[in-house]
Amino acid sequence: MDLRPALQIQTVIKAMTDVVLPAVDTNNKLAQEQARLVIGMLNLVAQRQPMMYRYDRDELARFLALAETLREQAKNLPGVNEALHAMGNSVAVGEDVLDRARAEPKELESANFDLREKVGALITAIYSGSEIGKLKHISATVTAHAKEMLLRERSWLIDQGWEADPKSLPAIETLIDN
Amino acid sequence: MHRVDKNRPTQEWIEHLRRRFPVEKEIDRILTRKMTRRAGPGYSSVSLDTLTAGVELLLKAKLSGPFEVRNPRWMSGGASKVQMAFDLTWSQSGNDKTTTTMVLRMEPAESIVETSRLREFQLIKAFEGVIPVPPVYWVDNAAEFLPYPAMICGFCDGVARPTKGVDGISGIGTNFGPVARPSLGKQFLEHLATIHTRDWKNADLSAFDIPEDGTEAVEWQLNWWERAWEEDVNEDVPLMRLAMAWMRANMPPVDRLSIVHGDYRTGNFLYTEDEIRISAILDWELGHFGDRHEDLAWAIRAAFGHLAEDGKTFLVGGFMPETQFMDMYQSLSGMTVEKKKLDFYKIFNAYKNIQIVLATGYRVARGSKGHQDVLLGWLLGISYPYLDDMRVMLEDLL
Repeated sequence: MDLRPALQIQTVIKAMTDVVLPAVDTNNKLAQEQARLVIGMLNLVAQRQPMMYRYDRDELARFLALAETLREQAKNLPGVNEALHAMGNSVAVGEDVLDRARAEPKELESANFDLREKVGALITAIYSGSEIGKLKHISATVTAHAKEMLLRERSWLIDQGWEADPKSLPAIETLIDN
Repeated sequence: MHRVDKNRPTQEWIEHLRRRFPVEKEIDRILTRKMTRRAGPGYSSVSLDTLTAGVELLLKAKLSGPFEVRNPRWMSGGASKVQMAFDLTWSQSGNDKTTTTMVLRMEPAESIVETSRLREFQLIKAFEGVIPVPPVYWVDNAAEFLPYPAMICGFCDGVARPTKGVDGISGIGTNFGPVARPSLGKQFLEHLATIHTRDWKNADLSAFDIPEDGTEAVEWQLNWWERAWEEDVNEDVPLMRLAMAWMRANMPPVDRLSIVHGDYRTGNFLYTEDEIRISAILDWELGHFGDRHEDLAWAIRAAFGHLAEDGKTFLVGGFMPETQFMDMYQSLSGMTVEKKKLDFYKIFNAYKNIQIVLATGYRVARGSKGHQDVLLGWLLGISYPYLDDMRVMLEDLL
């Protein structure tokens, strides 16, 4: 999926800066201010969005550490048992989540990217070296994979309005459970 | 992320692609120029004043008499080129002073379709007085006067779609309505037949190479678009690799070399609503020598047609059923239409279209090289339904 937030935000900022803002009535102070705020907000999103996952993971690790320290320090104090118990449940969930949250989103994106490239190069090599008519099984593998992938991609972008029959596409939530 | 950094390509990699994908000289020049400039600055918004100054410099070099450029204004549309209309007061060919409305078509730093202004200029010139085309006046192919390569043509009257919509029709695509439909359809095919049967030998088409008989024309096209794919694509797409492999294994020989418009479709011509007359065939930038089936396969694409009033009959291009369309074309051109070749060019056109919106569209927007990057980013999403359409077609052919 090439239509990612980083590209989308970048193009929107450029359109706002180069085309929209210069066309906003200079006498309309509210519109001028709001247009600049939109650009500023988008710049902030563009800078921070790639680190959001790491930021949340770091936050969870710090809170788990705080919870652990507080549990030790508060265990003999009066009137805390119920709260300690509730916190203990949340710590267990948080530790499990943190344990599973290892790879960065960028690493995932990069692994996909690299595998796409290698698979693509392999397909080109296969068809360059053999007669296409003898590779029907491989062609079927490629088109079957494309069918599944394209269903996801079309469903992901359904709100753009490209589909002639949008109701025929499954919801994206049902297609990305692997 | 890439082993090859496509945003800062090395000279070695550029040369590798040039060797791997031989194309016509002018196509090689513009693709190589694109790649050698890629690491440079993005597109800076150009003001009407800057463009007007560039137009004046160009006209000073081209015109001997006095002239005046007035009323410059932006034109809407045009995802691939910057377009400005203006009024030129001048004495054309020594005649009395007159005022002509002109259109400047200028490339951004990189375009969603990287093409040659000189080829576009020459091709339109070759059809002046033959079929309705915009009058072309001057070309600045090396950006000697304007910020980027550009050409100036005359403004044409007419509309690309009816100003008043026709109600009660299902389907997509431009609906000309039942009154205008037969006449426009016939003219559309007459002009296409003229393009395909045109004797080009006396025309100045020096920016074009003439392919040998057989499959050379097809191979040049495959090389052009696979090279552009390699230059621009971000995430690889296995289906595109399969499609190219299938095309290379199934190249149909060209039985008669024709000028191919390259984007001949509803939406790319203007017509007068009062006379129902096609007043201009537009967008010649993808033109080349090749096989007529390429234009035919593109013109009948489902996206450009719709269902008739009966809710059942599909009208290709919004004109007529496909069988009637092909019969009329064969009658007007005196040339046959072969299903197998149409099938090939349906895949080719799909590949080219996906290459443009997915690969080049991404790369231009990523590098802030265009004048409408937000539009290119938006359009990128349509590549996935396009890919799925191509998958369905390929499954039938494999």
